[in-house]
Amino acid sequence: MRRLVTPYALAFFLMILVPVTLTSQITTSPYSIFGLGILEGNSSGLSRAMGGTNIAFLSENAINYGNPASYDGLDSLLTIFEIGVFSKYSMFQTSHNNQSLLNANFRYMSMGFRIAPWLSTSFGFTPYSSVGYRINSTAFLEGTSIEYPKTYIGNGGVNRVYLGGAVSFIKNLSLGVNASYLFGDITHIEASEIYEFSLEDITYLSNFTFNYGLNYQVDVNDWKYNVGFIYSDGKKLNTRNTTTIETKYEKEVLKSRKYRYSIPRTVGAGLSVRKDFFKAGVDYEWSNWEEVDFSSTYLHTRNSNRISAGVEFPSQGLRKGSSRMILFRFGGEFRESYMVIKGVPIDYRAVSMGLGLPLKGVVSVVNATLEFGQNGTMKRDLFRENFVTLSLDLSLRDLWFRKRQYN
Amino acid sequence: MKGIGEGKKGRQILLLIVLGVVLIGSCTKTNEFTIGKDFMAPETRLEVVDTFRVDISTILVDSIITSSKKIAYVGNYEDTIFGLISSRSFFDLDYELFGEIEEKAVYDSAAFILNYTSKNFGDTLYPMSVSVHRMTELIVPVNKTALFNTSSFDYEPEPLSTVVFLPEPNGQDTSVNIAVNAFGEELFNMIRSKDEKVSSEELFRDYIKGFVLTSGSVVNHAILGFNANPERLVLKLFYHVNREEPEEKEITVKMGDAGRQFNKIDFDLSRTPLAGIRENKNEVPATLTGNKAFMQGMTGLYVKCSFPTVQNLMAGERWKILKAELIVEPEKYSYEKFELPDSLYLYAGDKRNNMSTLRDGKGLQLRALFEFDDYLHENNRYTFDITDFMLNELADSYFNPDQSLILGLAMTEQGGRFERLIVEGRRPPVRLKLYYLSY
Repeated sequence: MRRLVTPYALAFFLMILVPVTLTSQITTSPYSIFGLGILEGNSSGLSRAMGGTNIAFLSENAINYGNPASYDGLDSLLTIFEIGVFSKYSMFQTSHNNQSLLNANFRYMSMGFRIAPWLSTSFGFTPYSSVGYRINSTAFLEGTSIEYPKTYIGNGGVNRVYLGGAVSFIKNLSLGVNASYLFGDITHIEASEIYEFSLEDITYLSNFTFNYGLNYQVDVNDWKYNVGFIYSDGKKLNTRNTTTIETKYEKEVLKSRKYRYSIPRTVGAGLSVRKDFFKAGVDYEWSNWEEVDFSSTYLHTRNSNRISAGVEFPSQGLRKGSSRMILFRFGGEFRESYMVIKGVPIDYRAVSMGLGLPLKGVVSVVNATLEFGQNGTMKRDLFRENFVTLSLDLSLRDLWFRKRQYN
Repeated sequence: MKGIGEGKKGRQILLLIVLGVVLIGSCTKTNEFTIGKDFMAPETRLEVVDTFRVDISTILVDSIITSSKKIAYVGNYEDTIFGLISSRSFFDLDYELFGEIEEKAVYDSAAFILNYTSKNFGDTLYPMSVSVHRMTELIVPVNKTALFNTSSFDYEPEPLSTVVFLPEPNGQDTSVNIAVNAFGEELFNMIRSKDEKVSSEELFRDYIKGFVLTSGSVVNHAILGFNANPERLVLKLFYHVNREEPEEKEITVKMGDAGRQFNKIDFDLSRTPLAGIRENKNEVPATLTGNKAFMQGMTGLYVKCSFPTVQNLMAGERWKILKAELIVEPEKYSYEKFELPDSLYLYAGDKRNNMSTLRDGKGLQLRALFEFDDYLHENNRYTFDITDFMLNELADSYFNPDQSLILGLAMTEQGGRFERLIVEGRRPPVRLKLYYLSY
């Protein structure tokens, strides 16, 4: 009984505590000044190790919230709780300057289990997008030749809590849906310490959204071929805005501004192949960002494309399935992001590798992932980000229902 | 279960952690990060405007309180800027129950003892002539509260005594004595004979009335400030008692209540740029006085600044004042002979030039310290932070053009100092500098 209580008490505690304490500032990147900020993607640390590839993968030993149909792959006896954190070191490069930043934060938390032979579920919390920057600039004291320091600060982002389910009435075909609630706030501040003023613009955002998924499996001998589809509709986010101007002497809430924030319609498809402990997959995802307008001077949107591929295989020489088996993962990803800054498209490319380390004790698996990537370009006075991300996901598993039967 | 760092897997994790720590060490500090600043669309603009029209003028306030300042000014001084200024100081004596004087006592002499202070005005290198006159009426404060630079009371035209001396305000002698032997003998005898006139305060004051220190008819080159603390401005009667060894004794009669000690200031502006000030409702615009304005403590001259164009600022809607400064520049080299006041104070003035004190955030009267640019004398200035004042004035989105700011000495010092200031500089000599944020 004690072994039962400990991990789940911990899991529930974290589920409640983390979103409350989290200010959801994950990104520290000047790119996050635009729109909703940096999109955090739809994949756990484990998927990241395979280039974020996850559309056609079933949730077997790990929860794949990227495609809700995947929950159908959850083991009927296993309850999985996962939590992921990451640390990212970014070097920003312009044609004449190099600056670097480090930040570490929470990536996701989720729980999944099977309710009935035809129904399985998952729920969790993940950031959808995040804004985080602090950029030191200068401005002229107009009427003089004096320049004074001015700081632009942004923080916040959009979080997502989801509750999903997958059903399977026809063998090898599963359908799933995630009902998500998006909520958060994005703050942009323009301030001067010397002249003691700040203009703070906070936008509170929220709405419900649904993502749908399908997975179909074809078995050929020992090989399992899966095809997956995902779809989510575009949605306007409800916004409420407050702009406050504050000086040493006065503070005034200005008229609310009108900001339009939306998330785009997204479709994706993936293929995977699997045998024993080997699996590989490819993804393609398209988002209709063109219909989203952030009304920014510098930013224009285009439809985004993402392709990725990944592979996972076990360590050699050990008996497959043994408790000491290590899983290796490799992947790559290329994204034509939705951002076009000053007419220059911002593309993202990364390669990744990871390890799945089995452990004894409360934590059953540690997934460690390293990603090396590049974002943006130095063309037209833009800046390029070279980054290394270390992700750590902890997976807590227990034979919850079986234990209960024994009680 | 293995501990962290044990085994192959443990070592790999440890390696990653170490890598992470190394990376932290090489990061740009957040307050130095600048990449991305070109994509910021500023929504605020900070502007400085100091081209507001500031009209300045010299105003004359007729009555400045000069009583209770504990300083007795006597003398006169003339220059072409502030004209002829002369000061007389009125005071009376304190009554106390005089003791017994022995039969054998022999009167010697009597003198008023005047102690120097550092507050002198003019040229103290010339000999000074100071007379003491006996008053013929009592000093009575106006409304029982105060006496002014214009107050006056009758006194005997013939002085009791006159002393001519070379002033040494910073020398060894700390005092000047004015002998009043005849008067002293009269008082000595009255005390000895227990005359009715020295038996009570009322009769004593009626008998003595008071004294005035004047320059007589002499032209002096300075106005000296003597200590007028009751303990320090005294009349001393000297006598001795004949015994085997003569025993020297003295009676000290202190100055009366400080509230009845005041300085009467006469000044003649007829040969100065301010000649017509009285005929012109006590105000002369700087445009008529060579773009200069004049301030002096005890003569009641103040510099008035008004801002006829500030109202135009209201045209725009979305702005906030971050800082407002009033910058006052003294005329170059005008401070070579007369030191400028260390601090200047600000008053708010209305249409009729009625003044009220302005206070800073700490509740103290708003003031500015003198900043001296001893290299080129280009940046000598007093800078007032008048942000609070401007915010208050603009709170109703209207700046009353009759509202002015008036420069003077501290309220408590205006009637106790001769310090002066001539405002001039790069035009305009007084600037209103507004830092405002539009958004």
